[in-house]
Amino acid sequence: MTKAYSRFITVLFSAFLGGILIWSLILPDLERSETENRTLSQWPDFSWEALKDGSYTKKVEEYFADQFPLRDKWTGLKAHSEHAIGKTEYNGIYLADGDTLISEVKQPDQDLLDKNLSYLDRLTANSTIPVTLGLIPSAAEIWKDKLPSGAPSWDQEAFLDRTNNLGIPTIDFHAALTEHADEKIFYRTDHHWTTLGAFYGANAVLEAFGKEPLNKEDFTPETASDSFYGTLYSQSGVHWMDPDTIEYWVKDEGLNITSWRTGHPVESALYDRTYLEKKDKYSSFLGGNQPLCVIKNEALKDAGKVLIVRDSYTDSLAPFLAQRFSEVHLMDFRQYRSSLKQYAEENEVDNIVVLFSIPNFITDRNLVFLPR
Amino acid sequence: MYFSSLTFLFAYLPLTLILYFAVPLRWRNLVLLLVSLFFYGWGEPVYILIMFASIMIDYTHGLLVEKYRSNDKKARWFVAQSMIFNLLLLGFFKYYDFFAMNLSLIPGIRIPQLGIPLPIGISFFTFQTMSYTIDVYRQDAPAQRNIIRFGAFVTMFPQLIAGPIVKYKTVAEDLDHRVITTEDFALGARRFCVGLAKKVLLANSIGALWDAQLAAQASGALTMVGGWLGLIAFSFQIYFDFSGYSDMAIGLGRMMGFRFDENFNYPYLASSVTDFWRRWHISLTSWFREYLYIPLGGNRGGTAKAIRNILIVWFCTGFWHGASWNFIIWGMYFAMWLLLEKFILKNVLSKTPDVIKHLYTLIIAAVGWGIFGIENLGRCADYLKTCFGGGALWNAADDYALRSYAVTLIVLVLASTTLGRNLWHKLPEKADRVLTPILMLLSLVICTAYLVDGSYNPFLYFRF
Repeated sequence: MTKAYSRFITVLFSAFLGGILIWSLILPDLERSETENRTLSQWPDFSWEALKDGSYTKKVEEYFADQFPLRDKWTGLKAHSEHAIGKTEYNGIYLADGDTLISEVKQPDQDLLDKNLSYLDRLTANSTIPVTLGLIPSAAEIWKDKLPSGAPSWDQEAFLDRTNNLGIPTIDFHAALTEHADEKIFYRTDHHWTTLGAFYGANAVLEAFGKEPLNKEDFTPETASDSFYGTLYSQSGVHWMDPDTIEYWVKDEGLNITSWRTGHPVESALYDRTYLEKKDKYSSFLGGNQPLCVIKNEALKDAGKVLIVRDSYTDSLAPFLAQRFSEVHLMDFRQYRSSLKQYAEENEVDNIVVLFSIPNFITDRNLVFLPR
Repeated sequence: MYFSSLTFLFAYLPLTLILYFAVPLRWRNLVLLLVSLFFYGWGEPVYILIMFASIMIDYTHGLLVEKYRSNDKKARWFVAQSMIFNLLLLGFFKYYDFFAMNLSLIPGIRIPQLGIPLPIGISFFTFQTMSYTIDVYRQDAPAQRNIIRFGAFVTMFPQLIAGPIVKYKTVAEDLDHRVITTEDFALGARRFCVGLAKKVLLANSIGALWDAQLAAQASGALTMVGGWLGLIAFSFQIYFDFSGYSDMAIGLGRMMGFRFDENFNYPYLASSVTDFWRRWHISLTSWFREYLYIPLGGNRGGTAKAIRNILIVWFCTGFWHGASWNFIIWGMYFAMWLLLEKFILKNVLSKTPDVIKHLYTLIIAAVGWGIFGIENLGRCADYLKTCFGGGALWNAADDYALRSYAVTLIVLVLASTTLGRNLWHKLPEKADRVLTPILMLLSLVICTAYLVDGSYNPFLYFRF
């Protein structure tokens, strides 16, 4: 190497490392990332204790990574590189058919799975109120034909075979969704079911309770947003997809909705449209996660009260169920910490439904509260 | 802190280089010592104390060995002291729990395990400091009187946590009077970029294929083809991970004026197991040869002694890699092949066509990595059994894996051979000059993208 050329290489290398260092120093720190839907790490407070146990330096590293300039662009670049060398899996998410993102379901922790089933068992054994189990297969099962051929994903059908033989009445979401697998029942960029998928899901619930099914013709879908990029879009880094559309089918009229977000009741609505302006648009259904929510249909007096222990799939399902039940109580153990049994008895519910998407049920760590 | 982390690349390294080159030459060893201690303390603040103890003790012992040079008995005693100290350090932190666990299997004995986290790089720096006192004793290098220079040798951050194991005599000259030219820096930077790409782009991505096969085994879906795919993937992963790290270390050293020896020489081109071990982790094998095998008598003194010495060296080599039975078995596995080649296969191999010899070596190495990579012996045996026909031949998941990793595997094969290097050398001078900066920048940019992506963990709707 000549001296001039060596100098050029030296400057190039130093400018890249130093340039990004200066850039990240100048760049103002961000509070949260909309794409990732989480708060970002901030510069940690110093303490000798934290330095000694290593947590201080760890937090500095997290801060540095979280506040890195153009995070989203770098992830996009990585996804593009992977795409270029023929990969169809991006951070555990398959790009199926070129336009649909489907999350792989990983082999669950067997102990946790057995435990979750045993909590369910204890709930049904102790409860005087009948319990029904509803497990919603994810897109990786219903749309398995769309997956790249041979792409591994845990066998949800085999798991349903197991849960169907527990002696607990079940809701057959698998059949209801499979029948309509060629329709847009899951979002292409998000792990949830669409309002259409939830509609078919609702009819599966109604069938299990011997109630009259809902008719599509009775609803006029409203396009709430046509620019929804969901969780799979963020997680995969596959940013060259068209956005999803979110539809609202059920209207608020005749429904009385109460949310218990902070320990006391607040009047609420089926949809919180402020979320439509944000990244996390699915949370506009019932306004996102909350410990307890009650939907009462004022026109239906004696159609029964159902208590659903649930995850976020039920946010878009509950509006449909409120068309056929007098009261729908939604309980989320990620936040609700009192006794299920006591609540059910005090509110004189007729049925308890444990209703989860399969990927959530097999990884949930709060089901321990079921029998309490 | 790893070299392949955002904090290292875009905070520690630029700041360190600025500091290092801003001070006059005679202060650079001090700067190197300070930034290296900072580097070490970053991951394990408390273990900096081990570093200080290690510097103090080996520094004093080096001087003592030199002082009593005329009294061989005393000099030997000081060498022994220093070795005992280093081996105790290593033994306690790395092997205590292993011995406690295994001895407790004997009825009537119960030794509690301590669960102390392993100080980073302890296997490397204890070996380096042992080489120092021995080199001084053998008069291969003069004792270092300046404690700052000695401290800089022990803690030198480029090779501190994953080697290469730099023998004192290799850098003794550079420590005292090194010359750093812009060319050194440029060549070092280029080498660093090559290593970074090997680690981040090649090793990490093929590692996912190995993990996938282990997961398949856990769910009972491993096939014979899948098993071999996994072994091949792990063989590539460990090579590109380790040699990439060595490249980065050698590059960083060069940028700061040190010349470390090469640690790898295209090991997968080896034509025998013996040859493989001349090309793989050279700094470790040569350490064991120089400081253990030859002092034991090497292959002088008859067949029985040679066999004994090879078994001892390979037991130590295996055990050095980790405090677990599979590493010991791995070491003995290679001892067996080396002995076979030395005494029986030698004449057979010399008449064997090259293709077969290479294939034979690769298979032995790959199976070795299987033993190395699966700590649980039952599971390891199970995995290898599947590879040798104890299960289904092939399934759709293998087809998927092959399609997904086809390009990566081709790149890995090219990068493991001299083909890429030879093509590069055939390039006209001008093309080399144009391509070098482009490839360096490309490596840095794409590696950054992968590293940022690795830190990217979107919280879905589970934030509680």
